[in-house]
Amino acid sequence: MDSLQLQALLPFIVLASASVVIILLIAARQSHTVIQITGFLMMCLVVLAMWYVRDVLPRAIMPLLVVDGMAAVFTGLIVFCVLIIGLFSFIYFEEREENPKEYYILIFLGTLGAAVLTISRHFISVFIGLELLSISLYALIAYLRNRNNAVEAGMKYLVLAAMSSAFLLFGMALIYMDTGSMDFDGIAKQLQTQGHSPALFVTGIGLMMVAVCFKLALVPFHLWAADVYQGAPVPVTNFIATVSKIGVFAVLVRFAQAVQLQSYHFAVIIISFVAIVSMVGGNLLAIKQQNIKRLLAYSSIAHLGYLLVAFLPGNAAGIEAGMFYLFAYSITLLAAFGIVTMLSGRQADADQLEAYRGLYWRNPLMGAILTVALLSLAGIPLTAGFIGKFAVLNAGVQQQLWLPVIVLVITSVIGLYYYLRIISTLFAETQVIFPKEKSLHPLFVAGTYGALLVLLILLLGAGIFPSAVIDGIKNFLCQGFRIINF
Amino acid sequence: MTNLIAYIPALPLAGFLLLFFTGRRMSKSMIAFVGAGSVCIAALLTIVIGITFLQSGSSANTQTLWQWMRVGNFSCDISLRLDALSLVFVFIISFVGALIHIYSIAFMRQDEDYARFFASMNLFVFSMLVLVLADNLVLLYLGWEGVGLCSYLLIGFWYKVPANCAAANKAFFITRIGDTAMAIGLFMLFKTLGTLNIADIQQQAATIPNVTTIALLLLMGGMGKSAQVPLQTWLPDAMAGPSPVSALIHAATMVTAGVYLVARMNVLFLLSPAAMNVVAVVGAITLFVAGCSALVQTDIKRILAYSTISQVGYMFLALGCGAWSAAIFHFFTHAFFKALLFLAAGVVIESLHHEHNIFKMGGLKNKMPLLYYTFLAGASALAALPFISAGFYSKDAILWYSWSAGNGNVMLWAVALTGAFITALYSARLVIVVFWGDMKTPIAQQPGKLMTMPLVTLAILSIIAGFVQWPHNLLHVTLFADLVEKVLPATVLKQGIPPELLLQLIAAVVTLGGAYTGYLLYYKSPHIIEQWKTAEPNLNLREFFVKGWRFDELYQTLFVKPFLFITRSNKADVFDKIHQWLVTACSRLNGWLSLSQNGSLRWYIGSMLVGIIFILALQFFL
Repeated sequence: MDSLQLQALLPFIVLASASVVIILLIAARQSHTVIQITGFLMMCLVVLAMWYVRDVLPRAIMPLLVVDGMAAVFTGLIVFCVLIIGLFSFIYFEEREENPKEYYILIFLGTLGAAVLTISRHFISVFIGLELLSISLYALIAYLRNRNNAVEAGMKYLVLAAMSSAFLLFGMALIYMDTGSMDFDGIAKQLQTQGHSPALFVTGIGLMMVAVCFKLALVPFHLWAADVYQGAPVPVTNFIATVSKIGVFAVLVRFAQAVQLQSYHFAVIIISFVAIVSMVGGNLLAIKQQNIKRLLAYSSIAHLGYLLVAFLPGNAAGIEAGMFYLFAYSITLLAAFGIVTMLSGRQADADQLEAYRGLYWRNPLMGAILTVALLSLAGIPLTAGFIGKFAVLNAGVQQQLWLPVIVLVITSVIGLYYYLRIISTLFAETQVIFPKEKSLHPLFVAGTYGALLVLLILLLGAGIFPSAVIDGIKNFLCQGFRIINF
Repeated sequence: MTNLIAYIPALPLAGFLLLFFTGRRMSKSMIAFVGAGSVCIAALLTIVIGITFLQSGSSANTQTLWQWMRVGNFSCDISLRLDALSLVFVFIISFVGALIHIYSIAFMRQDEDYARFFASMNLFVFSMLVLVLADNLVLLYLGWEGVGLCSYLLIGFWYKVPANCAAANKAFFITRIGDTAMAIGLFMLFKTLGTLNIADIQQQAATIPNVTTIALLLLMGGMGKSAQVPLQTWLPDAMAGPSPVSALIHAATMVTAGVYLVARMNVLFLLSPAAMNVVAVVGAITLFVAGCSALVQTDIKRILAYSTISQVGYMFLALGCGAWSAAIFHFFTHAFFKALLFLAAGVVIESLHHEHNIFKMGGLKNKMPLLYYTFLAGASALAALPFISAGFYSKDAILWYSWSAGNGNVMLWAVALTGAFITALYSARLVIVVFWGDMKTPIAQQPGKLMTMPLVTLAILSIIAGFVQWPHNLLHVTLFADLVEKVLPATVLKQGIPPELLLQLIAAVVTLGGAYTGYLLYYKSPHIIEQWKTAEPNLNLREFFVKGWRFDELYQTLFVKPFLFITRSNKADVFDKIHQWLVTACSRLNGWLSLSQNGSLRWYIGSMLVGIIFILALQFFL
């Protein structure tokens, strides 16, 4: 490994060291505040490191990793999400009895796993990244172990994720058996020389798709999502909804690019099928849901279905659309779960829709942010969500993927119903008077409000000036495509 | 200087946002300062930018702010374009707008919704500026819908009176017909050319196969906004709004948006002689129809409303004849004198305890001399009295071109001439009945300085604004035409027309004759009218004109009643059944799918296995 390669890996090394630093701080019996601030600074350091290394990209660290523009975009998004989630975590956990300190170790390890996924170009690194992410998540989901659903949710996730990992490994083994390589480029080269798609490869792809669909919570592997979203602490739910999905989608895009997945007829059929049933199933499940955490779980199933429509064309426009969509989706969910975090009380999370009745009149700022976030999820113009959905539609229409596109449009309309239902609750008259609680940590509450405002500006900004974001993604992707060709 | 163009619309927008969010907590002086100040600064900026632009001699300045979206080969820029045509409009909007805002400070002082008023007015000025500065038709359409919204909000400003809300709704619905046609036109343009950028359209216009259809659809949009027959019925009712609103939106600026659109899209219209003829005929019919109605109205604001429709009709006539610069010139002078008349009418109404009926006014000449002389200046400009009024210079040009321009003919000229007679007649009637004779209602209050200052300014402009462009045979001053013809095509003259001087003399005689007739009928010997009114057919005719040629009743029978009939016979709402079915289906499916979310882990594993088997099976069968 030469120094430039080391330099390219710098952000990931800083990310890994964040967990170690936190462990040392806990050993030194530091307070929650110190740990929180240190964690925040470490994440900022990761961002700085990424800025610092942007000129040495793209760089491959053979055979496992490659740090290129696409990885930079995805990792940047992941680190941004973790920055915000870390901020939300403080007031959430400080209010509760349990010791919150080890939580940060797990969060940073999970982040590292997701980040490793974005730079993987080899089955081994994919598997390591995925397990790093999953194992952190098992503990994170069950973190508030005295809660009713927490342990149950953790157990369910553990069993199902273990099963999906088994399929992933089996799929990898089959592909390795067929091509003799675990390296993405090596597989692609081997496939080219073979000239036809052999049964082992096809089966392997199918089994790997199972694991990917499970992680992205796509129908029919989605059943865990609602239970886990509901049982996990709100920041962890937020983490699952954003970070873990970004990481898995990144590796999916990279693998598909390497082996030209979309040129295989069967793969396109499977992905279209999964996308369509996810869009339909997610939206239909959400219609009558009264629990906002479960509702957002179903909504994210549908959104990942939309995302797959952008993935289907497999061209540059599709990848750009997908990245923008993922960006819009992530900041929207960050904002929405941020509000849930802020409203959650000591005993229970604010997950019942009743808790939101008349929110706008009690707290206009929070009401407005949640409204904008929901409008963005519904894809209403002037929000990031609209531009994202428009880009996805455009990518689909240009490839003439009529069926997924039509389903996307119809299910978006159905989705509008339950988003508007929440919005109308926010603005409803309320008789219940909520006692004004004295906040214990004015500084962190202010910080959380600040983060929410940043998200609001991003949501509207990306809706009004989307070209800035799109151009940014394109710039990074240009670096990404250079690496594909070498 | 080009990078300052964006500040002209940005200032009123900032004013709107400030008032919208914090207006409730502001004091009235603060609201007035923000509301009027933002537009005044925009007006000053316009003057500075305008002078620089004229000195630079460039044909157009474009400022691209940002690209809103770019998808495939479609891109939508937020970019502004200042050329001679938009400069004229921007000048009128910001300058007249500023005067009207200053006037409103005093006029609306007693109103409890002071902030809402100024917020809506600022939003209107912003939208209107976007409309005329837009460099592509998407942005233009945004401004177009924005002014429609503000018009709706301000007509229904005093929403507690149901009639005002009805008027607002009517304006909204009827302009919507035009807007829809325009949107279809835009879609067709985009489909044929693949762009909505105005400069690109002008370049590629010759390649459009169905140019007549597109031009007519755009014209429909313009007719809705500019209240041209048959979409004119909303404007008289729109007088339900406060007087400054009528002055700004329904006289000076918004109702001329259609004129702007046709002038801006002149390339399309020039390619289609049929569309040009339609424009001219619509204008001619409108100016006559509305003029007749203005003759017999008794509500001071409705008289002015009908006269506005009629004057905009003149502009359309000029556009249709190919006298582009004359149309814009008439817009220019009309904005001053019609805004003046509405503002003065507002003062009259305010001073006489909200009395609208002109026959209950009278004798104001001695009590309110300043108001009288300013109103007189406005009315003489409306009547186009030769030489001493701005209206003369613009209307004389239209009269002359309606025969002599490439697309004009003697019929159009005759209608325009009749219209000129009617205009002079009702202008004289208005001045005489309101200001002369005996006083019938005591005066409650005199207008303050804030209200008289805009009146005096506009009165001076109503007299002198015409001097920038003289008839060719009298004096060779063509400043205005030189300016706008950088953008608009020059007027082509036909051969074999009677000498211009002769036509001018006829026009002058007809105008003076109209004014004298008014003097005769309403001052010297009013018994003629009394006598005329005794005959039954005459009364019927009068009623016909008062009701605006019974267009409302026609539409009521043609559209509203059948529609109500259909809704009544379809009370069970058959079409709702379709939606009901959809709702039931979704709800049922939701129920079934929810069964799968039963929380049992083995069931979850089972479903995963089914999924895997399905995927594997799919692979092997394909």
